[in-house]
Amino acid sequence: MLQVHHEGRAVVSRGPLEKAELDCYRLHHHGLWATLERG
Amino acid sequence: LKEPFVRKGDRVEVRLEDDARTMLASLPDLIAASGDAGGRLDYRAHPTDPDAERHYRELLGDSLEEGRERDRATVTMSAAARSIELEEAESWMRVIGEARLVLAARLGIVSDGWEETADPEGNPEMALLTYLGFLQDRLVQVLMPSA
Repeated sequence: MLQVHHEGRAVVSRGPLEKAELDCYRLHHHGLWATLERG
Repeated sequence: LKEPFVRKGDRVEVRLEDDARTMLASLPDLIAASGDAGGRLDYRAHPTDPDAERHYRELLGDSLEEGRERDRATVTMSAAARSIELEEAESWMRVIGEARLVLAARLGIVSDGWEETADPEGNPEMALLTYLGFLQDRLVQVLMPSA
């Protein structure tokens, strides 16, 4: 959270696409912006 | 400001005045009337890849929008309650968060540090944004596992 506060973005999850999309959905569900990037 | 929420086991006691409850109950309409709030409520997993985004949307179906509608209905139904369940408190937190995004879009806030130059007394929407920030922060506190 502190990294987001200071830098505007942070990596909060890594993994296969399906898991990353599920994590992304959870963040979207809580009104938080989240995007996926290929590692 | 007195503490608006107090954790009582697996429930949250709500200590809001009636006018604050009326304001809370109005938030779903505020959000519904604001579209995607200038893109702030348009959540995308793959903003630069339309094909991947389409796939993500197919997987989600309507679940995101249904969840948001459920949250808004929960706030409408429970705004007058003296005690709410933790799940209801989570809905309140999410609806308040979306209302803050709507208000921030209206006020043209695009970067951090706006609080330092804000004039809540001269702008009712700024005052509401500030108050909602306080309520959301207190809800996060009572929903933390250690609360």
